[in-house]
Amino acid sequence: MTKIGRRQIYFFLACIAPVGKLVFLPAQLADVAKNDLLFPAAMQYLIQTAAVFCVLLLAKRGMNFFELLANTFGKIAARVLITVYAAFLFFAALLPLLEQKLFVQSVFYDTLPSLVAFAPFFLFTAYLCSKPLASYGRTWDILGPLAIVGFAGILAFSFGSADFAALLPVGAVGFGGIWKSAVSAFSWFFDAALLLPLLGKFDYEKGMAWKGALFYLAGGAAVLLFLAVFYGIFQETAVNQLFAFSTTSKYFSGITMLGRIDYIFIFTLGLVMAFYVTLPLQGGIECLLLAYGRKKYLPTALGVAVSAAFLTTVLLLDYRFGDVLKAITGAAAWIFPVFASALPALMLLLRRERRETA
Amino acid sequence: MKNITGSLKESTDALKKLLPAEDILTFSFSSAEGLAFTVVFADAITNKEVLGDQVIRPLMHYEGKPAAEEIGKCIVSPELRTEKELEKLSREVLAGNPVLLWEGMDEAVIVGTKLVFVRAISEPSTDVAVKGPREGFIEDVKINTSLVRRRLKTGELRIEMIEVGRRSKTVVALCYLDGTSVKRNVEEIKRKLNKIDIDIVPDSSYLTHFLASRPYSLVKQVGTTEKPDIFCAKIAEGRVGLIVDGSPIALTAPYLLIEDFQSSEDYFVPPYRATFTRLLRLFALLVAIYLPAFYVAAQLFKLQLFPIKLLLTISGSIRDIPFSPSLEMLLVLLVLEVLNEASIRMPKYVGMALSVVGALVLGETAVSAGFVSTPAIIIIAFSGIGLYAVPNLIEQTSVLRLVMLLVAGSVGTYGIILVTAFVILYLVTTENMGVPLIAPFSPMVGRDLRDSLVKYNLGSLQKRPGTLKSPNKRRLR
Repeated sequence: MTKIGRRQIYFFLACIAPVGKLVFLPAQLADVAKNDLLFPAAMQYLIQTAAVFCVLLLAKRGMNFFELLANTFGKIAARVLITVYAAFLFFAALLPLLEQKLFVQSVFYDTLPSLVAFAPFFLFTAYLCSKPLASYGRTWDILGPLAIVGFAGILAFSFGSADFAALLPVGAVGFGGIWKSAVSAFSWFFDAALLLPLLGKFDYEKGMAWKGALFYLAGGAAVLLFLAVFYGIFQETAVNQLFAFSTTSKYFSGITMLGRIDYIFIFTLGLVMAFYVTLPLQGGIECLLLAYGRKKYLPTALGVAVSAAFLTTVLLLDYRFGDVLKAITGAAAWIFPVFASALPALMLLLRRERRETA
Repeated sequence: MKNITGSLKESTDALKKLLPAEDILTFSFSSAEGLAFTVVFADAITNKEVLGDQVIRPLMHYEGKPAAEEIGKCIVSPELRTEKELEKLSREVLAGNPVLLWEGMDEAVIVGTKLVFVRAISEPSTDVAVKGPREGFIEDVKINTSLVRRRLKTGELRIEMIEVGRRSKTVVALCYLDGTSVKRNVEEIKRKLNKIDIDIVPDSSYLTHFLASRPYSLVKQVGTTEKPDIFCAKIAEGRVGLIVDGSPIALTAPYLLIEDFQSSEDYFVPPYRATFTRLLRLFALLVAIYLPAFYVAAQLFKLQLFPIKLLLTISGSIRDIPFSPSLEMLLVLLVLEVLNEASIRMPKYVGMALSVVGALVLGETAVSAGFVSTPAIIIIAFSGIGLYAVPNLIEQTSVLRLVMLLVAGSVGTYGIILVTAFVILYLVTTENMGVPLIAPFSPMVGRDLRDSLVKYNLGSLQKRPGTLKSPNKRRLR
């Protein structure tokens, strides 16, 4: 279990990555872009698709993330750079983690549970981070079909309740509104950054970059479809629906008779999301391991330490989610395009030939 | 190693010294020309009638030279061997094969007249097939290997006998198809078997612990079957099989989790029916594991999971129950587990009484007394039945059900999701002999999916499972 299959990468791009965009993001987009929410999302998807394309092109060189950097800048500089990148990934993990916490508290319980209810999640992250990164590929084989089932189920239950006319007129908020909305959504689009630590763990095949980009776009198309349904159902009140994918299906007529059977699909996506949320953490740990060596108990120790640190952070930020969201989607939003979009593109300029010392 | 000497008395005494037990008997007699013989044999496990007719009687009339070859010709037995080492001779005696010694000869003849008490070949109770072969393995390794040999009439079938157990010297038959099984797997199993240093091996289950790459794993890592047809089918796919003397349960490796969702009957019914049954088994298993947990979690943390009418019914039923939903469910589950355990061990004639006690006294009375609610009993009963849809996984799934229940009672639905995530991660990272446990789902092997939860027509299964990496890929030409 040392390699990730190419199919597993495609599964991630098409099925797992979209799940992270189905919780807070729809409401965030609807806040500024309103009925034009599809445009900022599409813009983000196009930018991120280009970044994914670049990362998959980098895979062609057969080097891992650290080797790519060390090949051009030398080992010491590469260590510094990769440590900074790990810090970015840990930072990027914050929003999905807080999002997940609020989602769990709201969707899985009738009354607000204590924080303890969410704490076991960090046992899971610690366990997950102690596993080799390549094991992620195996989980994607299981989670990919589950995500499809969950997403299809929710869409099937929601579709009939949506009024797509609510998406008209197109361009009501103007380009300025769309751009502003797109900027606020940067924090949700860093999937290319999640692929960088995986470099060297999968083999490149001819046309993989194109295929990967297409799979990512297919996932994006599914998200856009969901956004359309979401806005079609909630319209002006969409901005208040913070846990989007758990809300759209509740108006399905069969629920009166059968109960909330849509929860089967919501829980399925919740399960997929639990894995997705830990990806930046594991990516960050992998970056550190690439830079400083993979000693025997280091992955486990780092997994436990990072999980404990994030548990503490989540506890401390329990009542400050609004501020965190404002900061991450406002002042700190530029960090995401720099690390997740520009950097993968710039990395294409790195030395191609392998140096002896690298 | 001590060898026997030319002196009959010395050799007999040395052998008796090694085997001082009272059931080790000696019988001395002379030939027509006065050559002295002694037979050493174990009472009760040696066929004395055959020994008398085929060995002793011909030798009493023997008039030739005292050479092993000449004497061998006189004995009417197809299974004859010569041996010098006392240690090995004593082992043969203990196995039921008498040892023949005579004056002036420094080697003895071992005669294969073992008396074997075996039960008749019958249908195994754990793997009943409505359609398909009814034969099951029994406790004798030779008969079991003959059942395999009868189905695989090819020279490629290799059966290697390996002794395991310091005291029991249990014979383990290692079966594989040369050129179809992965050599590395055969060698690894041999290495693991030879490395086992255990006192006795009473059953094949003892070996599973030593063959597993994760001995403390929640999930099993070696396949089991009681049916020779399944055993042969698995060997033909490229697996390695082990038949242990004294055990009717044969082992196969590498093991895939999906094997336990398949039944021999699936190959005797139309593919659509087999697919439906396999999916039904999975559904039953999921219901068995998750239903009690979700019931408790829904009551405690997420009432929305119930349809409104069901919620009213349930609230009416649990109104007077003195326990919390999780404790109530745990009690009912415990009762079910105890009843289950008792019914397996209990003599059959008491079984009926137990059913009455279980169903009427405990069930009916507990509900009317207000200890437990009717929905709780229905859910546990449904879960209990679901568990038996995949009988080979009962040990694992019943533990998982209990864990789910405990987590659901304390953390709620999110706890169930997290445990599921743990289980998924655990399963995808478990391998044995380099074969992932939950292949062909993870890693996904497209071709192997044709005989997984979905069953294709036999004509579509042209190649052996790619997961097993058999060097002989094609099975249908």
